[in-house]
Amino acid sequence: MTQLGAFKKMKELMTLYYIEAKTAADKPVAWLTSGAPVEFVYAMGAVPVYPENYAAMCAASHQSVALMEAAEAAGFSQDICAYARTDFGQDLVRGGPAGGLPAPHFLVCSTNICKTVIKWYEVVARKYQVPLFVVDTPFLHDGLTPGLVDYVVAQFRQLERFLESMLKKPFDRDRLIEVIRLSRQATGLWRKILDLGRTVPVPFTSLDAFIHIAPIVTLRGTPACVDYYQLLYDEVSGLAERRVGSVSDERYRVLWDNLPIWFKMRPFEKFFGERRCALVAATYANSWGGLEDFAGIQTRDAMEALAVSYLNIYINYGFAQRIRYLARLIDEFGLTGFIMHSNRSCKPYSVGMYRLKEELSRLTGKPGVVIEADQNDPRVFGDAQVEARLDTFIESMAPAA
Amino acid sequence: MFAPFYAAIADISATIRRHRDRLGRPVIGVLPAYFPLELIHAAGGYPVQLWGAGVAIDHAEAYLQPYCCSVARSVLELEMRGSAGLIQAYVFTSLCDTLINLRELYRRLFDKPILGLSFPVTQFAEGRRAFLADAAEKIIKGLEAVTGRRVSADALRAAAGQFGRVRSLQRELYRLRRERPGAIKNADFHAVLKAGFFLPVDEYGRLLEDLLVRLESIAAPAGRRPRLILSGMVFDPLEAQRLFDEVGADVVDDDFASGWRTVSKATLPVDDPVEGIATHVFGGAPCCCIHHPEKDRHDYLVKKIRDAGADGVVFWYVKFCEPDAFDRPQLLARLKQEGIPATVLEMDLSMKSVESLRTRIQAFCEMIGGLEI
Repeated sequence: MTQLGAFKKMKELMTLYYIEAKTAADKPVAWLTSGAPVEFVYAMGAVPVYPENYAAMCAASHQSVALMEAAEAAGFSQDICAYARTDFGQDLVRGGPAGGLPAPHFLVCSTNICKTVIKWYEVVARKYQVPLFVVDTPFLHDGLTPGLVDYVVAQFRQLERFLESMLKKPFDRDRLIEVIRLSRQATGLWRKILDLGRTVPVPFTSLDAFIHIAPIVTLRGTPACVDYYQLLYDEVSGLAERRVGSVSDERYRVLWDNLPIWFKMRPFEKFFGERRCALVAATYANSWGGLEDFAGIQTRDAMEALAVSYLNIYINYGFAQRIRYLARLIDEFGLTGFIMHSNRSCKPYSVGMYRLKEELSRLTGKPGVVIEADQNDPRVFGDAQVEARLDTFIESMAPAA
Repeated sequence: MFAPFYAAIADISATIRRHRDRLGRPVIGVLPAYFPLELIHAAGGYPVQLWGAGVAIDHAEAYLQPYCCSVARSVLELEMRGSAGLIQAYVFTSLCDTLINLRELYRRLFDKPILGLSFPVTQFAEGRRAFLADAAEKIIKGLEAVTGRRVSADALRAAAGQFGRVRSLQRELYRLRRERPGAIKNADFHAVLKAGFFLPVDEYGRLLEDLLVRLESIAAPAGRRPRLILSGMVFDPLEAQRLFDEVGADVVDDDFASGWRTVSKATLPVDDPVEGIATHVFGGAPCCCIHHPEKDRHDYLVKKIRDAGADGVVFWYVKFCEPDAFDRPQLLARLKQEGIPATVLEMDLSMKSVESLRTRIQAFCEMIGGLEI
């Protein structure tokens, strides 16, 4: 991974964020899914907390197994999402790098990343006896339609009413517009950073993106988030200009599909580095870049733009749209192949993946591989098997031109 | 008494073929759950419900990982191995993440029409209605394209009457089971329900009426055996249901998606089809797959157990079903609080033998007490 000066800043930012979240005694705490419209929550001055982000941090710092075991001992099946199990575990034993998350006063979950979050948040709602607001962003079997946008906008209006009752004050629409503007700025910078992946050699790989993704998930909508990604962009674009690659002597450029394997970040850096293989683009990292699409956001209805951006994410696409999108990334980023992570914990990403691989290879002529793993549970990861598959795949690729 | 039901499920393809030929209606396979079959019937189709099958997974292995549930894997297996040739089109709902993606997978793999009805999750009536208005129009058009017939108001009303009647007859059967424990063997009861997945509504209604007449005078056997309630998504495998009869326990009620959660649905309101679909999806017994904060599954299950005079609950867990698995620990904790014994059986529709479950059921019944040994 690229040694970036901004990394230190990010650590400070995230540490501060967790300290504030845990000490915000005067502000209500909301637990949110990563794809929930946090802009509304920031606009009302509540403190958003992301169990998914925290679960990933637990796995990246090799603390997820103990937490999942605690959840499993409490009866939660190993068949359920490892993020959810990690979250239930941190809640039971107050574990992980921040010593557990602050208890929620209310919950907001959005179905754009999966329907499973409804079940996860129902469990939390019952445990804490707190209200749960679901923003339903239906799966785009046949693409985006005006009806779906209206449906989500109507729910945003209800979300405003919900937040008024939680915060006991009128909803501040002006503040919301300001937060959306900040959110759009941050996601725009994030998109620009990821787009630097077109540079050969790539200055900022997908592994780098996974490390630096935390603020865009947790802090989008704040000025600190904009400042941070401006800093990161300046640094990475400098590297791009000087043609400094993240992987030395880059030979292969590949796409990563699905969530990271959080507990394998360092080993993967070494593994891919040794093979001169750079992970260049990732559907997961791209998922927080959507709001930037709406250049006309000032003139369009901001709510509508927000609804579109929360509906229009890769994992909410039908398969025809997924294949088109993946093929476009392969073309635009000059990729030599693609890796699909069949993730036991994420069915929306993984069910049907074998077929997507077949079709994408046929369409692009590029080799692909599916590896069987899990985003958060090292106990179901077979090093030898995964490495053997990846080696065979890398050998099958023609190097980048 | 139960022979016609067993006959219907002994060779399912033969059953479907016979009725398709008799009715001249295209067969439409319906994936779990809660799709209003009335719409298919009103469009001139012959709906059959696909809740999975006990087949070895071979072809489907190429497209669905082992961590997908055996309902999805077995239904795909049947299509891929050419055993579902009678099915002309498929209908999906958005019950869970696996089925949502399976619908997309089918669209990429097969030439048959793949239709779907996504359920809105929002709790706000207005948004729900707007969403369903679009969805209803689309699914009805899709069905009409498959059958080549229009869904008329009269046809929908007639279908609602027929399916509503069937569900009310099934509820009558449930009542008998609850009030006369042991009078109907558990295997027989589930054979009756399962036959309803594949028989057309006219034939099935007729058989149910006939059965209920014959059951009128049947009495519960003397003595009191352990009384159980089963809870889960699908009640298959049927061979496993037989174990309760063999062990000597009486299943007095259930909380299955393929059982009571469907059977409890009222007659489809047809004056306003959009409202009708909403009532169908969100009405009836609560389900782990349908977010409904006002319908508490815990209170519901506790009341159900008390009403049925049951001694305990068996959670019937078909592996990898996340909606089912998420709810269970808190439900178990509540039951414990209420002093209601419960146990969890894990299974797979494709399991080669159900014998391992026998020991578990027996041990649970012994723990409850009242087994005649």
